[in-house]
Amino acid sequence: MDVISSSFKTYNIWFEISGVEVGQHLYWQIGGLQIHAQVLITSWVVIAILLVSVIIAVRNPQTIPTDGQNLFEYILEFIRDLSKTQIGDEYGPWIPFIGTMFLFIFVSNWSGALLPWKIIELPHGELAAPTNDINTTVALALLTSVAYFYAGLSKKGLSYFEKYIKPTPILLPINILEDFTKPLSLSFRLFGNILADELVVVVLVSLVPLVIPIPVMLLGLFTSGIQALIFATLAAAYIGESMEGHH
Amino acid sequence: MASTVMATKPIALAKASPSLSPRKISIRAQAKPSSTSIPNLKRLTSKLLFSVPSIAMLAATPLPALAEMEKAGLFDFNLTLPIIAIEFLLLMVALDKLYFSPLGAFMDARDAKIRAELSEVKDTSAEVKELEEKAVAVMRAARAEIAAALSKMKKEMTAELEVKLAEEQARIELELAAALNNLEKEKEEALRVLDAQIDALSEEIVRKVLPTT
Repeated sequence: MDVISSSFKTYNIWFEISGVEVGQHLYWQIGGLQIHAQVLITSWVVIAILLVSVIIAVRNPQTIPTDGQNLFEYILEFIRDLSKTQIGDEYGPWIPFIGTMFLFIFVSNWSGALLPWKIIELPHGELAAPTNDINTTVALALLTSVAYFYAGLSKKGLSYFEKYIKPTPILLPINILEDFTKPLSLSFRLFGNILADELVVVVLVSLVPLVIPIPVMLLGLFTSGIQALIFATLAAAYIGESMEGHH
Repeated sequence: MASTVMATKPIALAKASPSLSPRKISIRAQAKPSSTSIPNLKRLTSKLLFSVPSIAMLAATPLPALAEMEKAGLFDFNLTLPIIAIEFLLLMVALDKLYFSPLGAFMDARDAKIRAELSEVKDTSAEVKELEEKAVAVMRAARAEIAAALSKMKKEMTAELEVKLAEEQARIELELAAALNNLEKEKEEALRVLDAQIDALSEEIVRKVLPTT
């Protein structure tokens, strides 16, 4: 087991820091089921960041906003605009869902890229963005699925299911398939983007550390922000589509 | 360089060895079977970091004591999924109570207030027009008043002036009459004196002209 430790005593500290373990998780056990603890821990950190910053910024709202309040007003207006464009006039009740989706994914992705998680050493696996785990992204995608089903059913009742035969009944299999591909594509798009970005950065850092990986890291910040936007926009679009009125 | 990349901490080495899957991409060697010699490892890892044969070879090694750790990998679904879903829903409720609802209501109230003030300003422009008309009417009345007062004053002044004028005229006429009277008297006196002188003169002329006999 420890043959290598005795043989490779001259390993470089930089390579130790820049290594990555993909597919390695820190396991906790509840009952007979396992949990990826590193995902839970980082998600708690993301939630803490969100709640603390919101509480601090939105205390005592002023008519002429301060900097923090201005930022959060901008974010809220952005989310409202996004929801209104995709869902239409009844976008009010859906703002918390779309907003939380956007903020959670955005802060997760950026925390994974910007915060120095590697400082905290786990006994097994490592800390990274919570969205680099398939469980997180599939959970979010399934929630979106449930949300748009709920939207359609609550607005139209059982006549919601008429949409499966809407243009022509020949498209019924395709429409049913759509209900599976929507969450699948949502989850895999996010998962693939975030995990692959992390991997690329780590490989580059392990090969050519210091300055060279920085453009890739900046690209990673950009694309992870876009991914949050895309996820939220598509969720809103699916909800809007299922709430669409009669043609 | 490849060999130093493959170096890992001893602890990670021992615990990580059983957790392999064919799809796992690894930069570090996750297990080091005792049978593998160092030159063998160097040869393998010098080809590609992600070479499948190396992973397959590592996967085929006998698993050490941590056998109860299940096969991990990228597609490892477990209790994490519902836990994250529940966390997300709780976060959604919390953010709604703390951020979306209060700030949204505040922003809407501010917008409504601004809009109300704006429409108020538009309304007061009608009021302003009313006030303007009133002002114009007041100005007109004032001007009329002033004109009336002016004309009245003018009339009074002219009346006074005429009275004065008449007085002066009367005085002047009196003086004129007196002067004329004086002149007449002096004329008569002069005539009388002349008459007397004429008589004397004519006597002298007759004496001088007629021979004295």
